[in-house]
Amino acid sequence: MQFANSGEPAVVRCSLRSFFLRCVPCGLALSGCGSYGPPAGSTRQAQAIHGLWGVLLWTGIAVGIIVYALILWSVLRYRNRSDATPPPQFTGNPPLEITWTVIPLLIVGVLFFLTYRVERYVQDVSPHPAVTVNVTAFRWSWRFLYQGSGKAIAGTPDQPPQLVLPVGQTVRVIVTSQDVVHSFYVPEFLFKRDAIPGVKNAFDLDIAKPGVYRGECAEFCGLSHARMLFTVKAVPAAAFASWMQSR
Amino acid sequence: MNGTVAEAVRPPRKAQSADFVAWLVTTDHKRIGVLYMCTSFAFFLIAGILALAIRAQLAAPGLSVVGPHAFNELFTLHGTAMIFLFVAPFGLGLANYLVPLQVGAADMAFPRVNALSYWLFVAGGLTVFSGAATNGGAADAGWFAYAPLSDIRNGSGAGMDLWIVGLLMVSAASIMTGINLLATSLLYRAPGMTMWRLPVFTWEMIVTSILILMAFPPLATALAMVFVDRRLGGHFFDAAHGGNPILYQHLFWFFGHPEVYIMILPFFGVVSETIPVFSRKPVFGYVGLVLSALAIGGLSVGVWAHHMFATGAVTNSFFSAVSFLIAVPTGVKFFNWIGTMWRGQLTFPTPMLFSIGFLLNFLIGGITGVIMASPPVDFHIEDTYFIVAHLHYVLMGGSVFAIFAAIYFWFPKVFGFRLGETLGKWSFWMMLPGFNLTFFPMHVLGLWGMPRRVVTYPALAGWAHLNLLATAGSVLLALGVLLTVVNVWLSSRRPTPAGDDPWGGYSLEWVTTSPPPEHNYEWIPAIRSERPAYDMRQTAAKAP
Ligand code: HEM
Ligand SMILES: [Cu+2]
Ligand SMILES: [Cu+2]
Repeated sequence: MQFANSGEPAVVRCSLRSFFLRCVPCGLALSGCGSYGPPAGSTRQAQAIHGLWGVLLWTGIAVGIIVYALILWSVLRYRNRSDATPPPQFTGNPPLEITWTVIPLLIVGVLFFLTYRVERYVQDVSPHPAVTVNVTAFRWSWRFLYQGSGKAIAGTPDQPPQLVLPVGQTVRVIVTSQDVVHSFYVPEFLFKRDAIPGVKNAFDLDIAKPGVYRGECAEFCGLSHARMLFTVKAVPAAAFASWMQSR
Repeated sequence: MNGTVAEAVRPPRKAQSADFVAWLVTTDHKRIGVLYMCTSFAFFLIAGILALAIRAQLAAPGLSVVGPHAFNELFTLHGTAMIFLFVAPFGLGLANYLVPLQVGAADMAFPRVNALSYWLFVAGGLTVFSGAATNGGAADAGWFAYAPLSDIRNGSGAGMDLWIVGLLMVSAASIMTGINLLATSLLYRAPGMTMWRLPVFTWEMIVTSILILMAFPPLATALAMVFVDRRLGGHFFDAAHGGNPILYQHLFWFFGHPEVYIMILPFFGVVSETIPVFSRKPVFGYVGLVLSALAIGGLSVGVWAHHMFATGAVTNSFFSAVSFLIAVPTGVKFFNWIGTMWRGQLTFPTPMLFSIGFLLNFLIGGITGVIMASPPVDFHIEDTYFIVAHLHYVLMGGSVFAIFAAIYFWFPKVFGFRLGETLGKWSFWMMLPGFNLTFFPMHVLGLWGMPRRVVTYPALAGWAHLNLLATAGSVLLALGVLLTVVNVWLSSRRPTPAGDDPWGGYSLEWVTTSPPPEHNYEWIPAIRSERPAYDMRQTAAKAP
């Protein structure tokens, strides 16, 4: 059911008929599998996050439907029918109350366990990354420095820089900032990490799909925050190697 | 009856001006409560107008209704006013009015401190806004003003200093009111009003007050440190000189998350009062409601770093676990409210409609809150429009809908006449869809990667449509709010007397007259349960 990946304007394409045929059964607006959810994820880490998102979303939808049904049932069924006898004045039901404390506890327990596993994976950094890039955020653009090669790219708000990365290899990104707090965010990677002055923040990306991905600064940083953009171009490893050789 | 109400509402001219001075120097908790609520509601209207300007700018990609600097001022003032000058102080104002009445006291424990809190709050609010008149404009670093963006070396001018000083005043005001409410509800209870007979609203205010005492000192500390960095050559948050920007985030969010509950617990209290009355049943699981409030209060000081998952500087698993956990007591409250309606006889005057609107909206905000408690998922949605959607579902759809419920519910008690039902219902039926049209699409925008706090956005597929939808919804929402303002005005022109107890209320305040006399009670009925007014009616009905 993935039809948002082609980069084409999926929503525009989604006619009313296909909307009801595809999107609605797929779980209404926030469905994780259509154009109303997050991108499917272009890194291995993102794919794990996407799976976790699906679990959280559907748990949330299930809980939401049950509670909405209970509210609407109470509202419709117990609306005043102007019979004079007052309703029963019961004040509680301890076994029931314990039940509805314990069940949510179990649910969040499971959610936490799944979260913990995915987080371990996403935060894991490999001892031998193939490529290491130092990312420095500044007001209002980015500088990318490829460790060990001296290759550097810097942008301006009007000319967003492009970060070229290999597909299928582990990339270490180390972000920092030279002025205020920024955040390195690539929506297609379902990931961001803050760029903080005085801090070197490291994480790994294993890009699975070649493509050009939009990147943005996610932490408000002043006047031109909205223009602090960049792109990530993911190319096959061989192409990456020859690009590194080029000037 | 009729005559006295009309007189109370429209005193002769001379009395009016004397009355005006009396309001300025009052130490009566009821008047201070009314002043508090009216002032904070005025800030709500102002901040709402700022929000409409934001939505106008974002209605389509590439607009320049306002420039980037003005835009930053807009969302900073909007957020600051909504949080510090409206939702939280409205709760305190309501508590000011209600807590002494509900516990059967004649006034707050420290009436003059109470007046001081109110005036400090007003001065603080005006100080924050006065930044707009300075050369550099108002504060523009967002409502949490991260260091070192808020540092003078990074550009923000005198408006930022005024913001800091204003919020320090508001903090002091909140702390004093917190102490006052605690002392009143613990020590000034009428005979028979044991802790386990306190109305749920008063209980929620007790927990709120404790949270105020824990949360505002760290905020004041953080603000003072920023001020030292800005004006006195400090380097607390300046990494180049050994300072630490993360420290600011810890201090701020150690305030910020409890603040979230300072902004919601009073309104959990409100619907715990309205829903039983309009279901004609006692509240379901009183003890559960109180314990869950205490549990929320306890857990809420252990979740602050869920606002910092993406910093890479905190133990995400711990904060994630506690954030998941805090959903449980919140869920308990939901089931208790549903249990209260269960097998009742529900009627739907305006306050009940807004209470049900609160349930429907807040539930969505609670669910997205649980989703964000998962750090890997939060890595994607933090600082996007998903957060904006979440926080408005809890604050606007939740707290503000409950505020409207409270206005319609207690207005007759406060002023002695009712608000019109027809306009009230219209207001609700515009606000509910208006609210959801405005904020639901923002979830999707956030998932697509639209960051918050951007002055404009690229014309990517679908972004324009959903933003336009949100802007259209905000107009409907604003009109709905306006109808309630009009309703207050029209209703006061032709007051319909309310009587002491228009709804068949349960808590003590419904026993006294509307409006209550200066010392609240001429006499107090025997208090044998958490529903003294109900008990009194039952006894009267049984009497020969
Ligand atoms: C079910 C309980 C709740 C949970 C689990 C929860 C969880 C969260 C989390 C994890 C975040 C961080 C998102 C991020 O910045 O990445 C957040 C943000 C926020 N929440 Fe909640 N929340 C809950 C209830 C509330 C309530 C009741 C309110 C207000 C009345 C509220 C207001 C906010 C606000 C204002 C933010 C935005 C912070 C920012 O500026 O980034 N939340 N919430
Ligand atoms: Cu930035
Ligand atoms: Cu929080």
